[in-house]
Amino acid sequence: MSAAVQARDKGVARFRTRLFTAMMIIVATLTALSLYLAQRKVTADAEQNLQRTFQAELSSLHKLEELRHATLTDRCNALAAKPRIHAAIEDNAIDLLYPSAKDELRDLMEGEEPPPEQAAQSLHARFYRFLDPKGAVIKPLNPYDVGELDAKTGAQLALDKLPDTQQIGYIQEKTQAGAESIDEVIAVPIFSTDTGDVISALVIGFKRLELEDKHTGMKSGIWTNGQLHLPALPEPTQASLNDKLAGALANSDEGESYFRVDVGGAPHLLFYKRLNPGSLFPPAFEICVYPLASAMAQLHRLRWQIGGASALLLLGGFVASHLVALRLSAPVKKLALDSEENRAQRKRAEAALASTAEELERSTRYSADASHQLKSPVTVFRLGLESLLAREDFKPEVYEELSALLHQTHRLTGVIDDLLLLSRMDAGHLQIASTPVNLSQLVDEWLDDFGALPDSPDVKIEKEFPHRLFVAGEKRYTSLIVQNLLENARKYNRPGGWIRVSAHGNGRDVVLTVGNTGRTIPPSENIFERFHHNSTPSAASGHGIGLNLARELARLHGGDLRLVRSENDWTEFEVRFPAVDGVNAVA
Amino acid sequence: MLWLNAIVSMLPAALLASAAVEGGVELPKSHSAPVQAKRYQIVTKGGVLSTQPPLAVVYLDGPFPQPASLPAKQVTQKDLTFIPSLLPVRVGTKVEFPNLDDTYHNIFSYSPAKRFDLGRYRPDERPIPTQVFDKPGLVILRCDIHEHMRGLILVLNTPHFVMTDTHGRFRLEGLPAGHYTLKAWIDSRTTREKSVELKSGETLHVDFP
Repeated sequence: MSAAVQARDKGVARFRTRLFTAMMIIVATLTALSLYLAQRKVTADAEQNLQRTFQAELSSLHKLEELRHATLTDRCNALAAKPRIHAAIEDNAIDLLYPSAKDELRDLMEGEEPPPEQAAQSLHARFYRFLDPKGAVIKPLNPYDVGELDAKTGAQLALDKLPDTQQIGYIQEKTQAGAESIDEVIAVPIFSTDTGDVISALVIGFKRLELEDKHTGMKSGIWTNGQLHLPALPEPTQASLNDKLAGALANSDEGESYFRVDVGGAPHLLFYKRLNPGSLFPPAFEICVYPLASAMAQLHRLRWQIGGASALLLLGGFVASHLVALRLSAPVKKLALDSEENRAQRKRAEAALASTAEELERSTRYSADASHQLKSPVTVFRLGLESLLAREDFKPEVYEELSALLHQTHRLTGVIDDLLLLSRMDAGHLQIASTPVNLSQLVDEWLDDFGALPDSPDVKIEKEFPHRLFVAGEKRYTSLIVQNLLENARKYNRPGGWIRVSAHGNGRDVVLTVGNTGRTIPPSENIFERFHHNSTPSAASGHGIGLNLARELARLHGGDLRLVRSENDWTEFEVRFPAVDGVNAVA
Repeated sequence: MLWLNAIVSMLPAALLASAAVEGGVELPKSHSAPVQAKRYQIVTKGGVLSTQPPLAVVYLDGPFPQPASLPAKQVTQKDLTFIPSLLPVRVGTKVEFPNLDDTYHNIFSYSPAKRFDLGRYRPDERPIPTQVFDKPGLVILRCDIHEHMRGLILVLNTPHFVMTDTHGRFRLEGLPAGHYTLKAWIDSRTTREKSVELKSGETLHVDFP
């Protein structure tokens, strides 16, 4: 027993370990997966957010610029409609162009430079120049009035030809301090009101509108003419970014993209977007460098959170697996105990069954043995009596005595036969070979035999059954039942009494009723019990197994035998036989 | 009025000589309907100014002595146009610019031959703004207020000039005998010329193809 308990406990422990290991594997996998997904998501989100920010800022910048451009277009259209401008250009009076435009464009150059937030609305220009029909810059007589430019800067304003739409460009300018700055220039065509041709262009230079830094740590700049201008970054960083940008811009046809860069050892996202697609001026790109610091911090935080959650999950998993193992192992334990108990019970039951079966067999064998052992001496006895009866030298009283003895041997044989049959039935060895049996004929035969019996009392027999009434059964046993009932009715009748035998079929069954006059059977008497004793001794007493045998046989045939009534000088038995299908239909 | 002016201007020459030139100038084809009452307008096509319908000015180029005084000419502004739209004058001629409209005009010119700006003035402006054209060449008149208004003054170095009719026919009389260059101004970019030998009492026939 203790070995079994040990084995069982070991099994439970192993189960627990396995469960915990499985949980650990699941939790570890989940952790790794969520870490991976979180990292991916955070990175993607950061990139997406920054991209969105970049585009939003850029588009707001573009809106401001568009506002400015629209105003400028209006301005130039109005300017072009001025006869003096036409006259100056068309009548070869270029020297009068700037003076003629001066009044019109006076507000562009006047006043102080506005603060950056009003730069877009104010239209305050750094300088302006006119282009001649070949696209070259028309030199102003008095540069002070139109914004002074050094020769190198001024040269960048020239175009290969006059534009027929607004052109945006970005030029580098060296300020007095020696620092480089970027000016945004807009070239607006001037159309002749007479011919509709472009006769000139006004190029206006503005201080570049810069992207607003909305607490993202963003640094913006311009990439133009193969040179990055991002003054917020130190020179070496600019140089390295410049190389990367040159590579990226050379390899992509897109006007807009982004990539990761390292600025000062920290990861940044660099966005670029073409500012002047299709312009006659050299291509320029807005460059924005966003630090990924917040995304990194978020990632860091998330890693800790996920790690912590996983540790908690693992701990919880440990506790849970422990509990689950306990919960699960309890029924297992119980099952082990139960099965042991069941086994013991089963063994006991099997033993009991075996002994019962043995007993049964023994008793059956005993009954059979007894019958055989009894039968042979009775036969010897009977043969001896018969041979004695065949002699003629005895006195008549002796013959009477011998006849009585012979009768008793016949009874004894009958008892022994019944016992044999019963013992076979008890052992379950009796098989019914069912055939249609004509019950009516059987009853008639037995009733005929009555008359031939020596001790037949004076009874009247009443019959009430069809001529042919078939039942399903084995003839000898059916006959035995019928004989039993009829003999009892005769045997326990009173002198001058009567017997009534009736039978009828109801389709499914055939019911045979045998009634007789005579003493009644008290309810306390178990007449169907084997070897029962009559409460009132009488001359006609049976051996006490006939009714039992008849009932057993009836039941074996699928029918039954019962006492219907026994009162007022009338006892009636009823036996039910299974009918033969279709045979009794015409009965 | 115009022919009277022409006759008056030619009078001194007619006293000295009696040569004449007549002929035709092939004018560019006009696609628009003829304008009533010689109200010619100046049109610009590809930066080239000409009258509509086309007219030419034929003149005899050459050094002629400058007279002490020249009669004044007029270019009026009426119905937002210059009348006449093309006026040939001799160098040194004073031209008046009366405003006959009910609105302001501001006549100016950026042309190399004459730069001037009369400023804004109303019809009742007195004296009538004038300008003396003392350099030969084409002067494009514009109005600063009405940007479509165009007028031409052809300042010539000679007293012998005439405007063709709408068919291009012309006749110059009272010319001095001698060797000259006869020119035909057709538009702001086209002036044709031919050498002519003029003899007294004869009429030379010249066609400008």
